[in-house]
Amino acid sequence: MATRKPKKTARRTRQSRRAEPSKSMATPPAVPPRIARVAKGKKPQYFSDPAIDKLLWMTVTLMEELSVTRDRLDTVERLLAKKRVLRATEVDLWRPDAKSALQRDVRRKAFVDRMMRAVHAELDEVLRGNHRGAEDDPVAAVES
Amino acid sequence: MKGFKQHALLPTPQHDEQARQDFIGALRGHLSGRVMPGNYQLFERRVAPRFAAEHGRPPADEQEIREWMTREPYYQFWSALQRRSQELLWESVIDPTEREWSALINRARAAKPRKTRKPGSLRLDPALVVPRYHAAADIHLQPGGYHTDFTNDDVAAGAIYDKGINLYMGGALGSENDLMGNTLLAYLRERHPSHQPKRILDLGCAIGNSTVVWARAFPKAEVHGIDVGAPVLRYAHARAEALGAAVHFSQQNAEGTDFADKSFDLVISHIVLHETSKSALVRILAECRRLLKPGGLMLHLEIPRGRTPIEKFMHNWESYNNNETFSRYMTRIDLPAEARKAGFAAEEISLEEFVPKMDVAQMNYTQHFFWKILVGRKNGAQ
Repeated sequence: MATRKPKKTARRTRQSRRAEPSKSMATPPAVPPRIARVAKGKKPQYFSDPAIDKLLWMTVTLMEELSVTRDRLDTVERLLAKKRVLRATEVDLWRPDAKSALQRDVRRKAFVDRMMRAVHAELDEVLRGNHRGAEDDPVAAVES
Repeated sequence: MKGFKQHALLPTPQHDEQARQDFIGALRGHLSGRVMPGNYQLFERRVAPRFAAEHGRPPADEQEIREWMTREPYYQFWSALQRRSQELLWESVIDPTEREWSALINRARAAKPRKTRKPGSLRLDPALVVPRYHAAADIHLQPGGYHTDFTNDDVAAGAIYDKGINLYMGGALGSENDLMGNTLLAYLRERHPSHQPKRILDLGCAIGNSTVVWARAFPKAEVHGIDVGAPVLRYAHARAEALGAAVHFSQQNAEGTDFADKSFDLVISHIVLHETSKSALVRILAECRRLLKPGGLMLHLEIPRGRTPIEKFMHNWESYNNNETFSRYMTRIDLPAEARKAGFAAEEISLEEFVPKMDVAQMNYTQHFFWKILVGRKNGAQ
C-alpha cells in the first residue's frame, strides 16, 4: 500500500498483513475464515416492483433489530434496578428467569402483532367486505 | 426454544444472539399462526370466485392456483416475510456458532465414546462428489448447505442445522430434534411389531438427530447413518457420542453405497426423498432394495404434500421459496410407481399415512397433519 510507512510496530504489521490477499500457498490465510451468510440459489421476486421486495427486506431487518434492542434495554433496566451498578460483562452473561422470559414473550408477541397490522389489513378488508358490504365512502359522506 | 436440550456441540447464545432467536420465534409463530392461514381464506373468498367467474370452473391444479395467488398482495407479503424470516433464522444461529467456532471444532475432535459401551465411528470420503441436486442451491436457505467446509475439520453446518431446525419448527421437533425419528419408530412398533432389526441404515442422516433415536430403541443393533455432507457428519458423530448413542456414520451417497448386498434388515430415511431428484429417487430406492435382506423393511418418512389443489399449492411454497427444488415434483410423483421402477414388486410396496401424536404447529400448511410413509418389504423370510 502506498501509505504504508517503513517503520511499524508489530501490531501494525499484523493488521496490514491481514488486509492483503495472501501472496503464496506458504503464507497463512490473511483473513480468518467466515461462515457464509447468504444461501446459494435463485432469489425469488415477490412484488411487481423489486423495490418493494427490498423495502420489506429492510423493514424486517429493522424490526428484528428493534426487538433485540428492546430486549437489551429491558435487561439493562432490570439489572440497574436490581444492583444500581453495571459491570461491563453483566449484560452479555445475563439470562432471563422463567417469569421475565414469559413477560418478554408477551411483549414480543404484541410488538409483532403491531408491526403486522399492514399485512392483516388486506385480509380483514376481504372478510369485512363479504360480511357487511363495501365500506362507506367518506368523500361521499361529507358531500351529501 | 422451550425445552431444547443444550449439549456439548451447541453454542451458548449471548444476550443479543438469544434476543435475535427469540424474535425469529415470535415472527415465525405469528406468520404461521396468524398470516399463513389467511391464504386459504383469501383463496376461498376472493381468488377461487374470480377464477370461476373467468373460467366457469374451479382451478384444475396447484399450477393454476399459483398463477392467480402469486398476484395477490396478501400472498406476496406473507411469502416475502416468510422468506426473510428464514434468512434471519439462519443468521441468528450462525452468529453464535461463528463466535464459538474453534471451541466447537475442538470438542468434536475430542469426541470419544464412553468406556462402558460400544463405540460409534466416523468415516469420511474427501473424494465423494456432492450430487448436483444437493449442491446447486443451499437447501432450506442454510448458507453453505449441509456440505460446505468453511475451515478445517468444520462442524459449523451441523451446529447451525441443529439449532436452526429447532427454531424452524418452533421447538415442535422436540428436545433433541427427535420428532421424525420417534414418529417413524412409533409407526414400526404399531404396524410391524415383530420386526426386530439387527442392522439399521439411516439415509441422508445429516446430524443424526433421527439416527440416535433408532440406536437407543435397538441398543443391540448395529446402526449406520450416511450423508453426503462432511461437516454435518463430523457433528453427528460428536453429538451422538455426547448423547451416549453408538452410531457408525459414513460419508456416502445413498444412490450407491459401499455396503454389501442384503446387509440390512431395516433401511430408513426421514424427510429426505423430497430433497433429491427424479432420477436419484429411483436410484436410491433401487439401492435400498439391494441392501435389504429378504424380509427386510424399507421405511421412508415423507411430508404430506396436500390433498386439495390449494393445499398442494401451499406446500409447494417450500419448493419455490426455500430451495426445496425437488419437492414440487414430489407433489405429483406416485411413490409406489417409482419404487416399482426401482425393482420392487407391486406386492412389496405400499404408501401409508400415519398421524402423529405430536404438535407440528409450525408446519401446518394443511388443516389435518399426517405423515406419509413409503413402505417396502423385500420378499422372502426374515
